[in-house]
Amino acid sequence: MSIESYNGGAVMAMAGKECLAVVCDKRLGARLTTIGMNHSKIYEINPYLYVCLPGLATDALTVYQRLRFRVNMYELKESRKISPQVLCSMLSNLLYEHRFGNYFIGGVVAGLDPATGKTYLYAMDCLGAITIGTEGFVTGGHCEEQLYGTCEALYRPDLGPEELLEVASQAFLSACDRDAGSGWGAFVYIVTKNKVELKSLKARMD
Amino acid sequence: MALQELLQLEKHASFGLKSVDDVELSEEIEELNSEKLTQLPITPFTMNKNVQLRDSNTGRHIHINMEKGTTTLAFKYQGGVVIAVDSRATGGDFIFSGSVKKIIEINKYLLGTMAGGAADCSYWHRSLTVRCRMYELRNKERISVAAASKLLANILYNYKGMGLSMGTMIIGWDKRGPGLYYVDDSGSRYSGDLFSAGSGSPFAFGVVDTHWKYDMTDEEAYELGRRAVYQATYRDAASGGIVRVYGMKPTGWVKISEQDCKVLHYKYADEKMV
Amino acid sequence: MFKEMQSLANAQMTDASPHKVAGFYPYADNGGTLAAIAGDGFVVIGGDTRLTTGYQIYSREASKLTKLTDKTIIGSCGCWCDSLTFTKGLHIRLQYYLYENNKPISTNATAQLVSNMLYQKRFFPYYVSTIVAGLDADNQGAVYSYDPVGSTERHRYRAQGTAGSLIQPFLDCVLGRGNQTAPEPEKLTKEQAMIYLKDAFMSAAEREIGCGDFLQIMIVTPQGVEEERFKLRKD
Repeated sequence: MSIESYNGGAVMAMAGKECLAVVCDKRLGARLTTIGMNHSKIYEINPYLYVCLPGLATDALTVYQRLRFRVNMYELKESRKISPQVLCSMLSNLLYEHRFGNYFIGGVVAGLDPATGKTYLYAMDCLGAITIGTEGFVTGGHCEEQLYGTCEALYRPDLGPEELLEVASQAFLSACDRDAGSGWGAFVYIVTKNKVELKSLKARMD
Repeated sequence: MALQELLQLEKHASFGLKSVDDVELSEEIEELNSEKLTQLPITPFTMNKNVQLRDSNTGRHIHINMEKGTTTLAFKYQGGVVIAVDSRATGGDFIFSGSVKKIIEINKYLLGTMAGGAADCSYWHRSLTVRCRMYELRNKERISVAAASKLLANILYNYKGMGLSMGTMIIGWDKRGPGLYYVDDSGSRYSGDLFSAGSGSPFAFGVVDTHWKYDMTDEEAYELGRRAVYQATYRDAASGGIVRVYGMKPTGWVKISEQDCKVLHYKYADEKMV
Repeated sequence: MFKEMQSLANAQMTDASPHKVAGFYPYADNGGTLAAIAGDGFVVIGGDTRLTTGYQIYSREASKLTKLTDKTIIGSCGCWCDSLTFTKGLHIRLQYYLYENNKPISTNATAQLVSNMLYQKRFFPYYVSTIVAGLDADNQGAVYSYDPVGSTERHRYRAQGTAGSLIQPFLDCVLGRGNQTAPEPEKLTKEQAMIYLKDAFMSAAEREIGCGDFLQIMIVTPQGVEEERFKLRKD
């Protein structure tokens, strides 16, 4: 078992029509033993912008704190909110700075422009190589394969917020139920132009 | 055999064969004995630790055994033996199945549990089933739990060090009352009052050790087994699925319950009012 | 004899240069994906026809499904040479069964035979993922899946092979419905099962390089076996 999968956990972001779903599971494990069942992997940058850091939990916390510092400095210097594109580059640079001695995490950036309703999805590997989520969803973490399978099959473009919640939850829970290292419930952020809803999903607890 | 010769009894009178050394008969026995079932071909390089099974193109190691994580549990109490198991089969982190039958029904008075390699367990228990039935037909009485578990232990001892992976409990009821044996791939075999095998066993042991009493009623004992395995599925990532509970009574085994972990979890959560 | 072979193997190993790990690599991973769905009075089994090694494609037309009897199909993928050898051996055993019993073998007997045959090679396994799909004595669909050493279980639906981990959770979602509170839809029809199978393979072909080209589907009903082909991504 590699160090990236030591703590387990999976994340996913899916885009709908002027809305966005960001999902993570609640498990924090130590190899096969589950030691936490309320561990979010989603970090809120602002209500329209989220970053998910799946992988080794200790690295995720460190990277989030460093990223937060850079975001705050950026926003103070520039006197404007950070955009999804900039945040993505910032995280990518942060990860690549540790090219030799990397953090054992992946990264997913998901954002919504409150003015236009346009959605932004990015995923990256542990060294900061960016994949743009043009298909309408990005995944990361322990059960990436299963998530790709369910998302690819269940995703449809231009879903409304309620439908998006249903599709994203079904895709995510079905994938987690086939993975030993993630699950134990899930958090879903449903982001629309004027509202953010945080849902907690009841799931299998094994 | 020696006794038969001493008393000059005709062996297998109804078969119409007179000599003990009758070749035809011994061949017949060999066929019935299903020797073929228990003799597997071995490749010369299997014993050589330097030879690894790899993909010839990518050089990646090839992993063949599935299912390592499990929780299986069996304990004695005044009314007999309780057997409780989960039903998850994992390969790496992928869950191959959430509905494996980890309690193997050998016959009406014998059960086996499976932990370790799924194929190893189900195959050798099947082979044990054949042997137990043959014993019954030859001796006109049921095989004892001690003998059945020893048959399995002897097979496993023969294959020791060759990569079999099994940690199994043999549970039964015979003349001596309830029987519970633990047999594993190293060929060891222990009798005892409480065994648990698999990656979830530490959690299950914790629950059973805390609440076990010899004088439990049947219902209390079944609930303890169920609860112990449920708690193991909750904490152990490699255990889960359905919690199956069986009981061993003087009249043979009884299937008590098969409940989904999800149902159990929310039932117990309601009881705790969380 | 045994010791001789062992010492021979050891000798070869010490002759090799000290930096290279000498070894015997008898396996290859040739990819391939299988999936099957069972229902009342039918079973459908699909397999892609791509044969790969690493990033190379050996063939786009390699059928992974074999018809055993009018009621039973076997699908086998993984190490292609093992798949071929195993199905050939199985055919021989089934012929023997036919001659000795004067009737074709039932699906559940085939399922047990496959398990035993796989386990017979426990110490030098066939590196294959296998699915046996067919109709049981009551004409109910049955899907049996196997690991390389013959651990078997009967399922309602099952995916195996390289893209097995992508397809299985999707089938769990639409057929297992473990996380849905909505009432169960009407009984699964053959047509609906085919749609799920095609959806599953199309999705898998998008993301898994070992899966693609064509989807070969065999449909087993009490009337016999039909075959269908469906185009998948070729890249």
